[in-house]
Formats: sequence, C-alpha cells, structure tokens
Amino acid sequence: MKKTTLNNIITCGMVLVLFIVCGFLSSAGVLGSKLSGLLIPIGIYIILSISLNLTVGILGELSLGHAGFMCVGAYVGGVFSILVQDVVTVSWLRITLAIIVGGIAAAIFGILIGIPVLRLRGDYLAIVTLGFGEIIKSISNNIYLVKDVNGLHFSFASPVSGTDAATAVDIFKGAQGIKAPQDTTLLIVVIVLMISLIVIMNLVDSKTGRACMAIRDNYIAAQSVGINVTKYRLVAFVVSAAIAGVAGVLYSHSLAVLAPKKFDYNLSILILVFVVLGGLGSMRGSIIATIVLYALPEIFREVGDYRMLIYAIVLIAMMIFKNAPYFKDLFEKFKALPVFDKFRSKNKVKAVGGESK
Amino acid sequence: MSEAAPMLEIKNLAIQFGGLKAVDNLNLTIKKNQLYGLIGPNGAGKTTVFNMLTGVYKPTAGTIYLDGENITGKSPAQINKHGIARTFQNIRLFKDMSVLDNVKVGLHNQKKYTAIEGVLRLPRYFREEKEMDEKALELLRVFELDSEKDTLSSNLPYGKQRKLEIARALATNPKLLLLDEPAAGMNPNETAELMDNIRFIIEKFDMTVLLIEHDMKLVSGICEEVTVLNFGQELAQGITTNVLNDPKVITAYLGE
Repeated sequence: MKKTTLNNIITCGMVLVLFIVCGFLSSAGVLGSKLSGLLIPIGIYIILSISLNLTVGILGELSLGHAGFMCVGAYVGGVFSILVQDVVTVSWLRITLAIIVGGIAAAIFGILIGIPVLRLRGDYLAIVTLGFGEIIKSISNNIYLVKDVNGLHFSFASPVSGTDAATAVDIFKGAQGIKAPQDTTLLIVVIVLMISLIVIMNLVDSKTGRACMAIRDNYIAAQSVGINVTKYRLVAFVVSAAIAGVAGVLYSHSLAVLAPKKFDYNLSILILVFVVLGGLGSMRGSIIATIVLYALPEIFREVGDYRMLIYAIVLIAMMIFKNAPYFKDLFEKFKALPVFDKFRSKNKVKAVGGESK
Repeated sequence: MSEAAPMLEIKNLAIQFGGLKAVDNLNLTIKKNQLYGLIGPNGAGKTTVFNMLTGVYKPTAGTIYLDGENITGKSPAQINKHGIARTFQNIRLFKDMSVLDNVKVGLHNQKKYTAIEGVLRLPRYFREEKEMDEKALELLRVFELDSEKDTLSSNLPYGKQRKLEIARALATNPKLLLLDEPAAGMNPNETAELMDNIRFIIEKFDMTVLLIEHDMKLVSGICEEVTVLNFGQELAQGITTNVLNDPKVITAYLGE
C-alpha cells in the first residue's frame, strides 16, 4: 500500500475512534455535560480547519474569508430548514437536505468570489478574501425575511413592514439572525466530518491535488508542464468553500440562535490558527490542533481571565516545539523505536514536515 | 518529404521592454532530432528567447512555428500541450513534493481521470495512477533517480535536481525540449554524464533539443549547429566548429 494511503487511513481511523469513544463516554454520563457539549463544535471546527487547509496548505493561498463561506452555508441551510420545517418533519432528512442546499450555495459563492479573487496571489488575495468575508457578514446582518399567509416578505436594511401580524413568523431577523431547528446530532457531525476528510484526502492524493501543490510550489514551472493554473486554483477554492458551507449548516442547526456577528474576522483567524499550528498541508495536524486549541479555553473556563493567558502560552509552546530541532530529533528517535518496525515500509522514506505530530 | 520538415521555425522574432530591444529580428530553424545550441555572453537575450518560445513573454513581433503550427502568443500551458517542454536556468522544482510526484505532475495532461473519479476512487483512478507511477519510474531510471523517488525534491543534490527537471519536462511528452543551462553548477564528470543523457534522450524519445549553454566543451561536444546571440541580435549561425572559430564570436565572448 502507498505510504500516503496508509497515513490517510490512520488519520481517518484516529478521528473515528476518538469520536466513538467520546460519544460512548458522554452517553454513559462519564464525560460530564460540559465536555459532551464540546464534541459537536469540535467536530464542526475540524471540518472547517481541514477545508481551510485545502486552500492554505495545499493550494498555498492565504484565505482570510473562510468564515464568510461558513456564513453562507449556515444561513442558506438554516433558512431552508425553517421553511421546510412543516413539510419535512424527519430531522435527519431535513438536515441532510439542508447540508446539500447549504453546500451548493457556498460552492456558488466560492465560484463567484473565486473568479475575481484568484486573479490575485499572495498578500493581495488574502486582503481581498478578508474583504469578501466581511461583506458577506454585513449583508447577512441586514437581511429581514418574514413568512405569513401571503408568502415570504423580504426587506434589506430595515424590518419588513406590512405583514399579516397574526400569522407572521420571523425567519431572518437582521442582526439577531435565525432560529434554525436543532437538528445537528453528534452522529451527523461525525458522518459529515468523515466524508469531508475522505473527500479532501482523496482529492489531495490525486492528479488534482498534485496540480494544486505544483502551483503552490512553483507557479511558472506548473504552467510550463501544461497545468491549467486558473482551473485548479478555482477547483480547490470552491471545494474548500463548499465544505466550509456544510460546516456552517451543521453550526446553524446546533445553536438555538445564530447571529451574523458570529462570522466575523476573528472566526476566520481562529480557523487559520488551527491550520497553521497543525502544519500547512497536514490534515492530521489540523485535526489535532483544532481539538487541543478548541477544547483548551473551554476546559479552563473556571480559571476565568487566565484562560486566554494559558491559550497564548500553549500557542507559543506549540510553535516553538513543532519546529525546534531538539524535539524533531526526539520525535525521529521515537519513530525509530523497534516497536514501530512493522508500520514502516521497506524502502527508505524521509520524514515529511508537518506530518510529524 | 525530401528534407526533414523543420520542428521549430522562428521568423523575425522580436521583443521590446519599454525602450529596450531585448531580442531583435531573430531567425532560427531547427530540424527534427537536431541538437541545437543557443549561446552568447551574459545578457544577450538567450533566456528571453526561451521565455517567448514557451509563452511566458508575448513577442512584440515575429512568429513561431512548431511542427508547422503557429504557436505565437499562446499561454505557457497551451504551448506545453502543443509540445514544447523546458527546464529553467534557476531550478524550478516542486520543492515540497517527492521526486516521483514531480514527474507525475509532468504526466498530468496525459491521464484523463477527473477530480470526481479521483475523490470517489473509481477504477480509472487506480489504473491511471498505476500507469503514471510506472511511466514516472521509467523516466527516473533514465536519470538514475529511481532509487530516490520518495525523497523530497529539494533534498536532492544540485546535479540531480537539474536531471529531475529534465525528467519532469520529458514526462509531458514534448516534441521539442528546451534546456536552459543544463550543466550550470555541475562538475566535469556530471557534465559528461549529462551529455550522454541528452544524446540518449534524443535517440530514445525521438526528441529535438534546443539548449542554452555557457560550457563551450558541452556545446562543441554535442551541438550540431549553434546560433550566437549578442545584445539581442544574431551574431553568427551555422555548424558549431565553424561558428566557435569565427573572430566575431571570439570578440563578443572575450572582448577586443
């Protein structure tokens, strides 16, 4: 078996085992309500960080607007669920449909934003994606949608007027956001997470992924071997946006109320921190970094204000230890232990940076 | 056909950057299976010619025919699909990818499975990936790089990086191979080995090669014909030994 295939299976297995064990522990009541409550958001954030890793790690373009795509998915999926709530009463079916609708909506936004944005590279691209992320948030902040006997009423920037007061139901209430049905369960999150992980890993380990990495490593050389640079940049960007949209759908269905201000610049940066600390291009790294860095502030909530101090220390420590030669050597020695002999393929394989976690 | 049709034909090629005429009125014909040299002092415009041939720069005037087809002004990726592959003076490998993957990127356009087939792992993915692996290994074997297929390309020694670049270019199945200073930074042994490699490529892959070189030993050793460029102008053209003994050429290289 190829080394990458084996690595991917290990990563998938790791995530699956982790969530199954935690799921059982939480249903048995061992885990406590606080930690159990973290499982769904952690799953959602893992989906977000692996999808951003596709843009940042594989395609090599810094995107600071990832929360924007999540926002599109969250609201399109959420509004869809509210509208079909009376028709589709089975919650798993409803959220499946919402995931499809939200994912497609985010993909469409990915194409619309990707076409102008991907003409740029590097810092310029980062700044423009940041702008688009903020635009999406601000637009969501001003959408008012009301349903009554006469149908749907839409208004931008000011509350809807002239509705039938007796039957009017707020669907989208500007800055207050939406109240989507709480359909997200841990099982659904884990299924979606596994599918996203497999899709991204298979995409990376194919012709398409190699083309993207070639573009990342050397733009001119990639063109010189006949790679359609624009096409592959767009493919990676759109897949990344679509998966972020799916995570958004899960997110909106896991909260009682979801306000647009949640999808601000800080959220994009938070996901980027997970990706960068986990190691660019390493899905396993993203997963581990997300779990550690998301759980940490929540676990240390009791220590109050000090928790952000601990968070900062952990960030710095991870950055130092990940790249310190001493720890790299230590890790190599650890990997060279006879215990791991049976996992090693016979031919000499150099350790690839980022996978070493 | 009485005489072999020209593989590459350049007519009145010129490019201007602002007021500077980097290359002016260049004419060049390369026959099939020929090994042609493009030489000249630093700054003569040799690499600029390569960049125009591969679509990195758009020529201001003139036309380029590859195997009878006009390819002037096409994009680099299109030109590669028409059959020109190149290496770079300053090595441009995909440095965070393995040696094998570098060559597999070169094979990209020859395999047709789609992104969806790749994600769903349909049979065509496995079949074509296997074919790619085999083809890539075969190419690496030519340059004796097959034992290092899993090494990161940036960890290869310099000479091998140059060879890998040639292997990657060959993977795109070109009709014409452009080598930009392939022997730069190589020791005499490596250069000799490279000369053998280039001869082998021309025979085995039925290739036509245009190369830029400073190493006169390499040029006089393997190039049948050369063109000498100086300040963007053609200085001399013809059979290698004759051209290299031309007083004009010697003056251009060594000064008066």
